[in-house]
Amino acid sequence: MTTAARRVPARGPGLAGYRTRVPILEISDLIIRHDVATGASLPVRRDEVIAALRAAGDRRGARIVAGLPHRDGVLEAAAVDRLLVRTHTELQRLNEELRIAEQLAELLGPLLAAVARGGERPRVVDVGCGIGYAVRWLAAAGVLGDVDLSGVDFNPALVAEATRLADVEGLACRFVRGDAFALPGSATVYISVGVLHHLRGDALGAFFRAQADAGAQAYCHFDIAATRLAPVGAWMFHRARMREPLGRHDGVVSARRAHTDHDLMTAARSAPGLVPLLHRPTHHSNPFCASVRPLLGVRPQEVSALRAALGPAARHLVTDSRPMRRPW
Amino acid sequence: MSAAVAVPVVLASIALVDAALAGFRAATGRNGLIRKRAYYVVAMRRGLAGGAAVLGCLALVLGAVLATAPDPGTRYTGLTQAGISMLWVIGPFAAVVVASLVGYAVLPRRPATFLILLGLGPLTLIRPWVTVAAGLTAAWTALDLPTAVCTVVAATSVLAVEPWVHRRWYAEPA
Ligand SMILES: C[S@@+](CC[C@H](N)C(=O)[O-])C[C@H]1O[C@@H](n2cnc3c(N)ncnc32)[C@H](O)[C@@H]1O
Repeated sequence: MTTAARRVPARGPGLAGYRTRVPILEISDLIIRHDVATGASLPVRRDEVIAALRAAGDRRGARIVAGLPHRDGVLEAAAVDRLLVRTHTELQRLNEELRIAEQLAELLGPLLAAVARGGERPRVVDVGCGIGYAVRWLAAAGVLGDVDLSGVDFNPALVAEATRLADVEGLACRFVRGDAFALPGSATVYISVGVLHHLRGDALGAFFRAQADAGAQAYCHFDIAATRLAPVGAWMFHRARMREPLGRHDGVVSARRAHTDHDLMTAARSAPGLVPLLHRPTHHSNPFCASVRPLLGVRPQEVSALRAALGPAARHLVTDSRPMRRPW
Repeated sequence: MSAAVAVPVVLASIALVDAALAGFRAATGRNGLIRKRAYYVVAMRRGLAGGAAVLGCLALVLGAVLATAPDPGTRYTGLTQAGISMLWVIGPFAAVVVASLVGYAVLPRRPATFLILLGLGPLTLIRPWVTVAAGLTAAWTALDLPTAVCTVVAATSVLAVEPWVHRRWYAEPA
């Protein structure tokens, strides 16, 4: 279970102000569980999820889970899979409107130009790809040229949907089930969209280290910018654009538990051999435009090649971050 | 063009554009393909058809209300006045929506994103309230009860298009 912490008012006499730290939970992290080794889905008890959400003070989340179908108290895996596919399809609609894949392509092109070795076909792998929107968009647009595109996710239902959608449109990309911490195969560049905030505590650093260990030349990870306005924007946008209560709930929670620039940079620095660079860090951006911002990583000797490949956009690259509260 | 013709024409045009956009929204989040222009064109046509059906029903209701009036001319003038009141509320909203959509289509990506978060998203959220407010404003200024009822019915029936199209064609993912 991945968690973030928030301060809540302590209850009971004599306890002044904010004392205890309780987790901020996304329902989608709680309602599925897989055997890491085999990928087989494991039973999830509905009461346990409800209890975890209630303990976190999240009564709305608990109500949403209470409405999910179950058999003898165990959530019905097929219904949960369908729900997650529906929610990810709605999430894709948000990514489309915010043109996330376009933003990704604008950075990925220069990144590949800077790090790809002559003669080798570059390999781009999307970690936590969901239904594979970013990879399928890149394959359909063909903007990266001759690149091997694939996606990895630990949820087999999402991988199956990504594969189905790619097949329907005849797109040259693949999707496999796999864990971000034990990556199958290798990649020139690892990418992700909206995954980092799911990784809490040590898992965040381990995510970057797994990519370094897999021999990555670079990475480019997009996630929600941690601003104080982000939860308000997320509430408004998810309310206007999503129908699934789970998606609306998790969308706001994601914004509340997004990592600060500093936390991301600190975790990314733990990956040996790759220098993290923030592009348009949160405190440099217009608060309403910073819905997501990317963290790039390259080998030290390739930083100047990346700057050259980015051209004028390189002026938005930052290598250091200050520990600071959420701006705006 | 006189107000007697212009007001219903403008209101019906806004309602039809709104219905096409309602068809688009009803279909969003239900199809994970990358290329789906044709899918959205069909959805907007369905919205448009729904909007046309709503307008057809409203025309029948208005026809009946006019036919049963003691003085149809006076009632037509009253309905036109109510339509003008509606336009005072809906007109500025429609103008902002159109400006946001044009901005989203033509502006570079970053300001376009800004427009979504500040413009298009909140505008979708307040649309039902604006529509109801327009109906109530017109009802408030209406000369008689049938006219007031017509304005409220007209405003609320427009809101039925999106849920109807969604339930009819897009309840399940494509
Ligand atoms: C918020 S979703 C984002 C999905 C997709 N990238 C998008 O933008 O629509 C996070 C995804 O990360 C996946 N995920 C989380 N932890 C993972 C892990 N350890 N290994 C692989 N996938 C993981 C989840 O299954 C989920 O699909």
